[in-house]
Amino acid sequence: MAELGQAAIYLSVFSCLWAMAMLWIGLRHNNYNAVVSGRNGVVGTFALITLATGALIYGFVTNDFTMKYVVEVSSYDQPLLYKITALWGRMSGSLLFWLWLVTFFGALVVWTSQRATDYLADYALIPISIVQLFFIILVTGLVEGVYNPLERLPNGAVARDGAGMNPLLQTPSMAFHPPSLYVGFVSLTVPFAFAIGTLLSGKTGSEWIFRSRRWMMASWLVLTLGITLGGNWAYRELGWGGYWAWDPVENASFMPWLLGTAYLHSAMIQEKRNMLKLWNIILITLAFEFTLLGTFITRSGIVSSVHAFAQSDIGHYFLMFIGLSTLGVIALLAYRWNDLKSPNRLESLLSRESAFLLNNWMLVGLTLIILWGTLWPIITEGVTGAKVAVPESFFNQVVIIPGLLLLLLTGIGPITSWKKLTPSNFRRMFAKPIVLGLVGGILAWVYLALKGHTTAIYSVLCVFAGVFVLAAISGEFYRGARLRAKRQETTLFDGLIRLVQRNKRRYGGYIVHIGIVIVYIGILGSKGYFLLESKGLQLEESMEVGKYTLTLKNAFQEEHPNFSLGGVVLAVEKGGRSMGTMRPARAFYHKAGQGDQDTIESAIRHFGLNDLYIALGPLPENVPAHVQSGGIVSVQAYHNPLVNFVWLGVTVMVIGGLVAIFEKHPKGNV
Amino acid sequence: MKRRRFKIIGAGVIVASALVFLMVAGVKNTSMRHFTPDALIAHAQEVDNKGIQVDGLISEDTTNWDPTKFQLTFAVRDRESKAEVNVLYANRIKPDNFKDGGNVFVQGKYNAAENLIVASKLQTKCASKYEAAEGATAQASGASERDY
Repeated sequence: MAELGQAAIYLSVFSCLWAMAMLWIGLRHNNYNAVVSGRNGVVGTFALITLATGALIYGFVTNDFTMKYVVEVSSYDQPLLYKITALWGRMSGSLLFWLWLVTFFGALVVWTSQRATDYLADYALIPISIVQLFFIILVTGLVEGVYNPLERLPNGAVARDGAGMNPLLQTPSMAFHPPSLYVGFVSLTVPFAFAIGTLLSGKTGSEWIFRSRRWMMASWLVLTLGITLGGNWAYRELGWGGYWAWDPVENASFMPWLLGTAYLHSAMIQEKRNMLKLWNIILITLAFEFTLLGTFITRSGIVSSVHAFAQSDIGHYFLMFIGLSTLGVIALLAYRWNDLKSPNRLESLLSRESAFLLNNWMLVGLTLIILWGTLWPIITEGVTGAKVAVPESFFNQVVIIPGLLLLLLTGIGPITSWKKLTPSNFRRMFAKPIVLGLVGGILAWVYLALKGHTTAIYSVLCVFAGVFVLAAISGEFYRGARLRAKRQETTLFDGLIRLVQRNKRRYGGYIVHIGIVIVYIGILGSKGYFLLESKGLQLEESMEVGKYTLTLKNAFQEEHPNFSLGGVVLAVEKGGRSMGTMRPARAFYHKAGQGDQDTIESAIRHFGLNDLYIALGPLPENVPAHVQSGGIVSVQAYHNPLVNFVWLGVTVMVIGGLVAIFEKHPKGNV
Repeated sequence: MKRRRFKIIGAGVIVASALVFLMVAGVKNTSMRHFTPDALIAHAQEVDNKGIQVDGLISEDTTNWDPTKFQLTFAVRDRESKAEVNVLYANRIKPDNFKDGGNVFVQGKYNAAENLIVASKLQTKCASKYEAAEGATAQASGASERDY
């Protein structure tokens, strides 16, 4: 099987080149047969790479420990799910997975646009094939620094067992976090390819935007989900009570998300007002290049990160590809320069267009700031010879003001009219949200002051903006629903349903905005007001965190198939009232060849809007014996307010995104 | 038409300079030098009592967890030389994957006289596990790999 897979990878070089050549010739010379042959080449590449990927999965499932990659990431006792997710457990495999996704999306473009003449989709297949070729070359193993994931161990060697995947990664959210990030990253290739397709074809209208709308929405959604799953995993597994630390890898996934969000908005301006043609192509190109840049940052070892990536040459290939593809886009833009002038201009600074424009500036600005912070160690080392880094607090500081402005814009945009906001419009739409926002802000201020936080200016502003946005958007829903209810002589609720159905993208988008407000409130509470207490406890001793008292009551030990779990039982009390128990623990793994390893198994419980989060310090494996003999247990307890709002808010965002994605566009769909 | 354009450009310049200001101020307030243990010792006096970051390996047999004081002490050693810097990490539990010889990233305040970092942040990476595993299958090929 492995040999078959390797052969498939080599063959795909030819099918990929064939597709490119045939599509180009066919499109240039109006030769339909050549175009069809090119499309078949794209599907053929997909079939070949699917075969190669299948061969690797077959290796995992059949425990083929003659295969180098299988030995490195899998083992006999690894559960089946994690044998399969081992596909993206390390670099060679994740490159193959990435490649498989690009070929799959290429084939999907072919299948969803099987029309006799579909110049745009056909042109878009060319850049898609170029991206494929880049990844094919990487997985062939012919370049230094990466080996072919289907390679066997040298000299016919057979390993007795594989090394297995890190236990930290053997959790369901780790099974879904990396692939959803990859799917989000890779699917961005398609809208980018449509933008390049439009440049190649010379028909520089807005069709590419309509055609790639759903792709864009889908990849944005999956990226949102992927980033959140990563944060959720970190929160539940890593034991430091947080979900986001501005690590370079986190930044690398966040930057394309920011750019994609900017593009989703500016694309709407092009659709509605036929403006920003050039800007949209630049934005989608940036979003695409940033997905590669993220890989470069994390794989080249140029910045240090929690996500352990050994230093590797692969970063250079990515950098080269980023450079070449960017130059290519710039050349194309220069070539089509005269066609990219927008006929319409901004009519007023007080208009929805300007709100969108400001949103774009903020999102791109934020991206550049985060990039700057992430690359700062390299920049300083290159310029001064001394490496200077910025810590987490840099990002926390610099994002606050642009972040609050963006939050305000999620409410301002929807209630500002296109073209020009008139004073009467302003009074009608803005008065109530502003008043409600002020009331909310003042209440928050009083509440926080009573709790002893007298200088919480940003918190107050955040509550003001949040309430403003909620009021503005509810107003939009209410006005629209009432109008429909009146017209159709039905109930308000029915009117609301009809309203959303009639304009899914608009109201789906508003639901996303509501989700964003909820996420902000979650971040405000959990990042701004968490409490942390650490104490060594003996049996029957207590500690306090916030209003909660934790008492060490007991210890336990459980045997599981591939680890043993040792922990303690803590009784939780609030104001003298028992709130039940929590069981933080440590998991002890013993695996031949890897040495012993123990990991924190935090206990997390929701009490109303707050989380109590408990992690244990190092313990001997027999926890009950240790506790009974008077040993000390190191308990670290976090009181995390509102953290559930982060997960809830993202869920609302995803629901809104799903609503929006189902809108059919009259001018064509992919 | 011209005036409106002027306004938009003006607004853009204001927004851009505000962002640049935020960035420069942020860098100025928070940035800290990043060292290998070897380089830190060489530049010890320059960064005495200042915030720094160090990347290195957890020196073998130096780790001590004191549950009564709730503190972790260990030494971080250079990858290439014998240079070592002591680390004190208090009121936080030891992170997962903290193993002798493993990669560690330390951020904190440096005391040159005692060659000690009072850490505010500690991160580990899980590379050591895979190195051992590769050794066990006797085929460490030098291919660089990703471990998350």
